[in-house]
Amino acid sequence: MNRLDARELWEYVLTQVELSISPANFNTWFRDSSIVKIEDGIVFVGVPSQFFRDWYLKKFNALLLKIIRSVSYEYRNIEYMIVKDDRRKPKEVKRIPQQTTEMPLDEFYINKSDNLNPRYTFDSFVIGDFNQLAYMAAETAMKRPGITYNPLFIYGDTGRGKTHLIQAIGNQYKKLYPSRKVFYLASEKFKSEFADAIQAGTSSRFKEKYRQFDLLIMDDVQFLSRQEKTQEELFHLFNALYDNNKQIIFSSDRAPVAIPDIAERLRGRLASGMTIDIGEPDIESRMAIVRKKAAAHGVNLSDEVIEYIAISISGSIRELEGVINSVVCHTQVKGVPPDLAEVRQSLRSFARPQKTVSVKHVVSKVAEYYGIDEESIYEKTRRREVVRPRQVIMYLLREDFSVSYPTIGSKLGGRDHTTVIHSCEKVKREILVDQELAKEIQDIRTLLV
Amino acid sequence: MILTLEKKVFAETVQNVARFAERRSGTLPVLAGIAIIAGDDGIKFRATNLETGVDMKAEGTIKEPGVVALPASTLRDIAASLSGNGTLTLEHSGDTVSVSGGSGRSTLKTLPYEDFPTLPLPESGAVSFSLPGSVLRALVTSVMSYASTSSVRPELASVLISAEGGVLKAVATDSFRLAEKKISLKETIAPFTMLIPAKNAVDIMQALPDEDIRVSVDDHQCAFFWSRGVVTTRLVAANYPDYAQIIPKTFIAEATLLKKDFEAALKRTAIFSDAFQKVKLGFDPGQKRISLSAQNADVGDSDEAVMGAISGDGVELSFNHRYLSAPLPSITAESVTLAASGIGRAMVLRGTGDASFLYLVMPMNQ
Repeated sequence: MNRLDARELWEYVLTQVELSISPANFNTWFRDSSIVKIEDGIVFVGVPSQFFRDWYLKKFNALLLKIIRSVSYEYRNIEYMIVKDDRRKPKEVKRIPQQTTEMPLDEFYINKSDNLNPRYTFDSFVIGDFNQLAYMAAETAMKRPGITYNPLFIYGDTGRGKTHLIQAIGNQYKKLYPSRKVFYLASEKFKSEFADAIQAGTSSRFKEKYRQFDLLIMDDVQFLSRQEKTQEELFHLFNALYDNNKQIIFSSDRAPVAIPDIAERLRGRLASGMTIDIGEPDIESRMAIVRKKAAAHGVNLSDEVIEYIAISISGSIRELEGVINSVVCHTQVKGVPPDLAEVRQSLRSFARPQKTVSVKHVVSKVAEYYGIDEESIYEKTRRREVVRPRQVIMYLLREDFSVSYPTIGSKLGGRDHTTVIHSCEKVKREILVDQELAKEIQDIRTLLV
Repeated sequence: MILTLEKKVFAETVQNVARFAERRSGTLPVLAGIAIIAGDDGIKFRATNLETGVDMKAEGTIKEPGVVALPASTLRDIAASLSGNGTLTLEHSGDTVSVSGGSGRSTLKTLPYEDFPTLPLPESGAVSFSLPGSVLRALVTSVMSYASTSSVRPELASVLISAEGGVLKAVATDSFRLAEKKISLKETIAPFTMLIPAKNAVDIMQALPDEDIRVSVDDHQCAFFWSRGVVTTRLVAANYPDYAQIIPKTFIAEATLLKKDFEAALKRTAIFSDAFQKVKLGFDPGQKRISLSAQNADVGDSDEAVMGAISGDGVELSFNHRYLSAPLPSITAESVTLAASGIGRAMVLRGTGDASFLYLVMPMNQ
């Protein structure tokens, strides 16, 4: 049994216990406990003191036994031991030189003072055509932080390595300028912290906290859309940092202009420095990523396996990582890397479920967005205010949901499929020149999710 | 449950027990309560915050046995407001308890008793010995205030109590100063070492009576039994630093002063100490005196000398004045001895001719 299993088991136990006892009981009795080890089918639960041990034996023993037995009959019994106080202190991280089957726990280790995950470095960052520009910009920005590209705005679809890149910048910055302060956070965290600060009446301390950083990295700023107060706070924070030549880095899943419902002045600020797009990784880059990630785990894969994985998983690097992890796990269990047939077999479970949608749903959302009557979409009218939404609907159904042209035509009031093709092409062309339309479609997409 | 007790007994018991109830909110509600148990053993009041716990008997008459848990803060307020003699009757029905005494009557909401934890006691086979409560209290209270208040190092936030060769000693340190108190026992006891969390020690020492107390210790738990009750505390499971090695063996200067002179001079000088509470102490063997000086840019400065027997070299050290004055009340001798071991090194303070108490304090950076 390795430690990770103990952790997972305990987490599972906690989720089950939480359902069966009151929150006060749960917080009091289970906050400081954990599974210390599992030996010969006996699960050793570490508790802070004898108060806990007695109570566990009296009240929770039956419940815990039932839960762990539901996981596996291998677990015969539970014993409770009082853990040393100094055990709860953060342990020194020791690197084990040789490869073991245990996953090193420090992958989850996050530095508290700057929130950066040390796992994300430039060394582990794979550079390809799709992200070369972003990488170069990051490097340049690090040479003269706060001056060359401020702010640096990196955007791209989910799983393209934005977070890796910006965290790597943070880690690099820390290495280059040890005396300066870095802070990484997701915009969601900023929002909730701000709300808490207002509620607790400590907003001045909140302001102070963020103004002290020399490099502020904010992930996923698109989540600030519609959060007017938080946007305002970010706006002021931005100005304060910017005026003092402090570097600011943002990431988002779309360009500043495409973030819906965000104050104009903030949008302008976001786009005022360097805005870079990370595109879809090409096949060579994906192969390089697979090779590098697998090698990082000490697994050497054959070229055909690498190619197969890179071809079958397109788009998100995160999905690619998921596959690599399962391959690594396979290797650790069986001792040899999987061959092509085995990979093919296991990849089936990763096949992305097809997005399905009802045409009616799309129609009603779009009609609502444009403020027109839903029925008019299906009618044979050519009024301008109806034609545009209808084309947008066709475009979305085709592009996002891969509905066939004839189906779209018949569902939207029995139109010919050539009409549909024409409409889709038209929108596709216009999107490139018409910012307004691009934004509308982006907004509608957020409505549809 | 129906029971009757003297107001005085009720008030005293509640005051003693209530301090063991949980004071923080957000935990199990019943931990903020006192359990009253009326059974074959008489009436017992029980409280715990899962760090320490108490179980105390109260004299009274039981009309109907039973158990109930009531909020400690309300009980304490009631106890504090009682006046005069007479008895109090507690009657439990449904989820309320009515308290009536004299002409008044009040009803309290109860807490769910089923959640009330049991009090763990050391396992059999543990070290056990007896000593008067007053002695134990003197031992622990003379050092417990020097333990660290931060929980970063649990061993420093504890009081070390250990026995060896008929000597019982208590030690506490927050890494800036250290105090050690020893007493010799009449009987020899098995050697043991335990770390009581300092904040538990404070509550326990207040609850202990003067009479003989039996102390029972195992690896994780320690209990103090006396005729009316028992207090139990968890122990810190960590290694205490080897403090004996930091006690200086050789000194470069030594001064013996009248305690009351030193105390008074320190008090006057401290008025002029700066934001860091700094007071400068100068050993002057030539003029047979110790000089105390302090300056504060906003207040002014002060300079004073205390005559005494000084030997060794002339040396100047700065201290936080609070660290100097804190141990003086625990010193019973008429004069105190200050022994400096060098600049930037610890100074030892003890009562002259009294080997039982030792206080070590680090100087400030000059």
